[in-house]
Amino acid sequence: MSTTTIDTTTSEITDAADAGDASLPALPTSRELYGRWEKQQWAVADVKVDRDAPVWQEMRPFIRQELLAALAELEVGEVCVVQTLSSLVDHAPSEDDRIYLATQLADEGRHVRFFQDYLSDAAGIDLEDAADGKALEAAASYGNLFEPTLRRSTARVREPGEGGTTAWYQALVQYHLITEGVLAATALRTMRTLARRAKLPALTEGLTNVTRDETRHVTYGLIAARHGVTAGHRDTIAETYLAGTRLAARVMVAPETRAVTPVLRIALRSRAAQLTGQWDMARDRMLRQLAVIGLPELRAEAARTWQSGCDQAMDEYRERWDTEHPVRRAAAA
Amino acid sequence: METTETTEDLGRRVRDLIGRMSPLGERTAESHHDVMNDLGYDSVAIVELALVLETEFELQPIDDEQAFDVVTVGDVEQLVRRLSGAGA
Repeated sequence: MSTTTIDTTTSEITDAADAGDASLPALPTSRELYGRWEKQQWAVADVKVDRDAPVWQEMRPFIRQELLAALAELEVGEVCVVQTLSSLVDHAPSEDDRIYLATQLADEGRHVRFFQDYLSDAAGIDLEDAADGKALEAAASYGNLFEPTLRRSTARVREPGEGGTTAWYQALVQYHLITEGVLAATALRTMRTLARRAKLPALTEGLTNVTRDETRHVTYGLIAARHGVTAGHRDTIAETYLAGTRLAARVMVAPETRAVTPVLRIALRSRAAQLTGQWDMARDRMLRQLAVIGLPELRAEAARTWQSGCDQAMDEYRERWDTEHPVRRAAAA
Repeated sequence: METTETTEDLGRRVRDLIGRMSPLGERTAESHHDVMNDLGYDSVAIVELALVLETEFELQPIDDEQAFDVVTVGDVEQLVRRLSGAGA
C-alpha cells in the first residue's frame, strides 16, 4: 500500500503522518522507498531558478524578509543534514536500509544545491558576503538551536562503545522525525503557500520537488522508528522524541529573533495568527507521528511538552527583548 | 515632516497607499471600501500594510483603549489620524 500520495490537482503531497488516523497505517518497506526514489527524480537545473528574479526585484519588504528567513532556515538545515547523515548510512540496521539512506544522502545534496542556487540566482543573495548571506544563515533558528544537538547525536553513532543501536535510534529520531518530519515539513508547507501567493513559479516547483523527496525521508523515519519501538528501543525513542519536541517548539518560537510586531491591532492579530498557525501545524505533525510509530500513549505528554516549550521560549523572548512576543501581545489585546 | 497637513490630506495619503498596495493590483481606494473584501487584502498583506503605515506616518505603539478593529479604508484613515496624533 502506498502511503505517499500526490494530488495533481492541488500539488499537495502527504505522507503517513498526514493521514490523521490514530490506527497504525501500513508503511512501505525501505526497498519500496528506493523504488520511489528511482521514479521521482528531478534536476535543479530544470527548475530554472532565475525566472523568479524579476519578482524578487519588485517584492515588498515584509514578504521578502519572510521568504528569505524561511529559505535560510531550509538551506542551513539541508547543509547540516548533508554533513550528518553518513553516520546513519554506515550503521544502518540492514542492507536495504543502507541502500535507501544512500539515496537520501543524494537528495539532501540536491536540496542544498537548489536552495543555494535559488538564494543566489533568484533572490540575489551573496552567500559568501558577511552582511548578506552569512548574516541570513547566522540568524537561522534551526542552526542556532537544533543543529548542535543533531551533530552531537549523529557523531555519537560513530563512536565505539557509545551506545551502538541505541545511538542510531536517537539520531534517527532527531534527524528524520524532528528535523525533517516536524520542522522541515512545516517550513516547506508554509513556504509553498508563500511562494504561490508571491507568484514565484520556480520556487513553487522546486519546493514541490523537495517536499516529495522529504516525504520519502520522513516515511523512512516512521518505518525505522516503528521497528525500533517493537525491537526493544521504545524508551530510547520516546525519551529522544520528547526532548526533541521541546527543542522543536523553541525553534518554532525562535526567541533569539526579534519578531515583527505591528502596531495596528488587526495586523498584530494577523501576524499572531500566522505564527500560531505554523506552530499548530508543527505540533499536529509531531503528535500524528507518534501514533504512526506506535507510541499513541505518549501524545498527551508530548502535547504538554510542546506547550511548555512554547511558553518557555516566549518567556525567554520577553527576557531578551524586554517586550512580549507578538503572539502574547495579540492574545492580551 | 509637514506639520500643517490637514485631516483630508492625511486621509488621501492613506487611501493612496492602500490603493497602491492592494494585492489585486494598484487601484483607487475609497473610504467606504472594505479592505479585505473589496481590495483583496489577506493576512500577509494586512501585516505588510500596517508596517508601511507605521513607517510612513510614524505611528506610536497602540493604547488598547484606543484600538479598534478596522474593516473599511475609512477605519484605517481614522486609526492613522489617532495614532499619528493628527486626530487628537
